[in-house]
This record gives sequence, C-alpha cells and structure tokens, in this order.
Amino acid sequence: MSSVVQTEEIAARWLLRREEDDWSSDDQARLDAWLDASPEHKVTFWRLESGWQKVDRLASLRRPGVPEASARPALKVWRPAVVAGLIAACLVAVAVILPASGLLGRDSYATDIGGRATAPLADGTKVELNTQTRLRAAVTRKGREVWLERGEAYFDVAHDASRPFVVHAGPKTVTVLGTKFSVRRDGDRVEVAVVEGKVRVADTGAAKVKPALLTRGDMVIADGGSTLVAATSVERVASVLTWRQGLLSFDQSTLSDAAREFNRYNRRKLVIGDPQAGAMRIGGSFEAENVEAFARLLQEAYGLKVEEDGDSVKISS
Amino acid sequence: MIDDATLKAWFFREVFPLEPALTRYLRRNWRNESDIADLRQEVYAKVYSAARERLPLQAKPFVFTTARNHLINLAKRAQIVSIEHVADLEASAVAIDTVTPDRHLTARDELRRVQAGLDRLPPRCREVVVLRKIEGLSTKETALRLNVGSDTVEQQMVHGMRALVDFMMGGAGKIRRPQAKKGAAKATEQ
Repeated sequence: MSSVVQTEEIAARWLLRREEDDWSSDDQARLDAWLDASPEHKVTFWRLESGWQKVDRLASLRRPGVPEASARPALKVWRPAVVAGLIAACLVAVAVILPASGLLGRDSYATDIGGRATAPLADGTKVELNTQTRLRAAVTRKGREVWLERGEAYFDVAHDASRPFVVHAGPKTVTVLGTKFSVRRDGDRVEVAVVEGKVRVADTGAAKVKPALLTRGDMVIADGGSTLVAATSVERVASVLTWRQGLLSFDQSTLSDAAREFNRYNRRKLVIGDPQAGAMRIGGSFEAENVEAFARLLQEAYGLKVEEDGDSVKISS
Repeated sequence: MIDDATLKAWFFREVFPLEPALTRYLRRNWRNESDIADLRQEVYAKVYSAARERLPLQAKPFVFTTARNHLINLAKRAQIVSIEHVADLEASAVAIDTVTPDRHLTARDELRRVQAGLDRLPPRCREVVVLRKIEGLSTKETALRLNVGSDTVEQQMVHGMRALVDFMMGGAGKIRRPQAKKGAAKATEQ
C-alpha cells in the first residue's frame, strides 16, 4: 500500500475529528505530536486542510430553516456582499443538490440469499437483482449511475443518448446508451454478458487497458488485472441469464462449479465429498432453489451417494 | 528558522495553488501514473524542509526546481530509467510551467467546482458529506439520521474529503482507497 494514501487517511481523520464539538486540548496535543513526527504528515494535513476550506463553501447552500449547528470552525460567517454574490450560483446548485440528499434508501436495493427482485428506476430502466445482490442507483438529469457492490443484476436500459448509463462494478466500469445486459460481481471478479445493443467495459479509474466494446452475444470475464473478452453466442449468454426464470443452466460444467452456483441461492449447501465426484461433467437446467431435486437426480442418473442433514447435502461417488 | 504558522500560511497562499501545474509537470516527466500522488507529497515535504531554513522569495520557481531535482535523483537511482530520460529532465526548462498565470478562483468558481466534485461522489458518500457539510450535523448526528454506525460515517467522510480535495486541487476527484477489498466489505456491512 502506498504510504501517501495511508498518511492522507490519517490526516483526514484528524481533520474531521477536529471539527467535532468534543475536540479537547488533549486531542490537540495528540494531533500536534502527529504533525511534528514528520514533514510528510504536516504537508499532507495542510494540503487537505486548505482544500477542505474551499469545500466549506457548501455551507452556503444550506436550506433556510435548518438550525445552524453550534459554532463549528468549518462554518464561516459570510459577509452580506459575498452572500449576495453567491446567490445566483446557489439557485442553480440547490436544484441539483436537494434531490441528491433524498437519495438514500430509495436508491439502495438488496436481495438476500435465494432472493430475486426487480427495481424500476426513474428513467424507465428495469434492473433485476439476482440472489445476494446489493446495488445503489442514482438517476439525475445529468446522468444515470449504478454501483454494483456485490452479486448479479440484469439491466434493461431505457434508451437516452444524452445520459449514458454507467455501471460501476469494482475494478470495471460498464457504459451503455440503451441495451440489455447483465453484470455479475464477486469481489474483483466481474462478468458482463450482452443480450442486445452495445456495451463498453473499461477499467475503473486510470485507463491502463483499452476499453472493450461488446455487442450481442459477447461476454467479458475479468479477474483483477486480467480480462477475457469472449465472443460466445447468443445461446450461451441466454443460458447465463436463466436465473431470471429461477433456473440454473449448465453445459458441460463440473459438479464442483454447479454446486458453487447452487450455493449462491440456498442456505442449504451442497458439499462435494470427493474430487472424483467434483470433476464429473453435467448439463441441463435446474430449479435454482431446489437443491433436493438436483441431488436426487444425481443419485438416480449417475448413481452418486447423497447424505442429507439439516443445512447441507453431501454428494460423493 | 521559520515558524510553522508562517510556513503554513505560505503553503496555503503560494504553494497549494500551484498543485494543478505541479501535477501536470510530474505526470509529463514520470511514466508511472500511480506514483504521482507519492511524488507530489515528497516534493511538498522537500519544499517544507527547505523553506523552514529560509522562505524562498518566489514560490513557483522554487517548487518546480525542487520537483525537477527530485525526479532527476529518482531517475538516476532507478537502474531501468534510460540516460536520455535524465538528460531530458536536466535540459527541460521549468520555465514552461511558470509562464501560465496562476488562476485564482473566485468564490463563485470555487462553489461551482465543489458542486461538480460533489456530483462525482458515489451517492452514499455524497449523502454523508451533504449532511455533515451542508446541514452542519456532527458525525454522531449524521450516523443517527442515516441509522448507521459512526465509523461508517467517518469512513465515508474520509473518502469524500480526499476525493473532493483532490478535485478542488485540479485532480479527477477519484482517489485510491487503501484497500479496495476492505472498502467494499465495509460498504456491504451498512
């Protein structure tokens, strides 16, 4: 980890704590000691402090009627002339900021294990959430953005050329105009499958790698630094999306992979007893939430041993 | 020896407004983008240590000369960097950057810039910054209002502060987190 990031985090915490009402002379002494420890600490703290002072201008956007907090150093008393000068800018800015402050809650969507939900966004886009998924959305007049924190979602994006639709999935950023596609995220592993239209997948932050442009039937599988773009097929993409009907589709998948997929949807976990069983190839469509039926099928069709107890189903050869 | 209060005022008035130009200079002369924030901090620290002895008459040439010397030293120490790169650096006139006039933003420009930076924050983070900075709530009050822990509010504020300051200083407003994984785990706890 870069030391500057770490120092900046610590400096930011000090700065925030100093704004609190219960800041004491002991706290100040501790901060002084930290600052004196190295020139890096001092310049990092000063830099944040000087930038943060400019952010104080935001206080001028405060809505009338909200009582002012007790004398906080951050809130400057504005001279009438300055206030008057700011009014025009505020009128524009307030219009943008007030909807933003009401965003929370309304814009967070989550599903539990085995859950599925549809989230209609304000612009007409439909988002379907798969099991154990968490995302946040912000639709404003300026743009449309979704943050996929974890899990999988299918997007049916309403076309609007003036407002690109952006999905932030950890290390990848997916940009579209209007199309149907899905994004799945497990930590830094991101999978994008396109059903219709065009989608651009780029690295989040600094553009080290050229963005990948995907069309119908394409898939991107990215894990950390490496990215695989596969022109698969419309059928393959469709099979990735069978979860929308509550089904899991496998085509020559190993039993281990299949078990992992089932375990995303169920509290009752499939456990593979031995490597031989795990390496077996299977195919077909199954109800995602019916582990018992899947296990029974394995027993009948392949002669595997199935042992059930409270919260797991063990399969071995 | 110059006292810290004087130095701090000098940094605020003369040094930090140079940051957009300084960042451009570093970026142009250093190929690894991920080193830029570290390099900038090192330059500031060197400027601080030197200015403590005697406050330079003109901040701008002083800051850029410090930056150039630092890059030359680093390039000489790094075996993989070509001799040409060092020669280029030594020959490059810092004057190019000193020609562009400092742009002192007006209060209105700054407000507009803060607003743009705020729009770039993720919604959760923006919400927290709005409550604390605009509504003037304390960390505890913000936590109560949003029904989350104080640590969550603090973590979001730390992130928001770093991103906004970066944006106010001419950056992209997107900053590196210490550990991406940890940040993500934190977010899902809420």
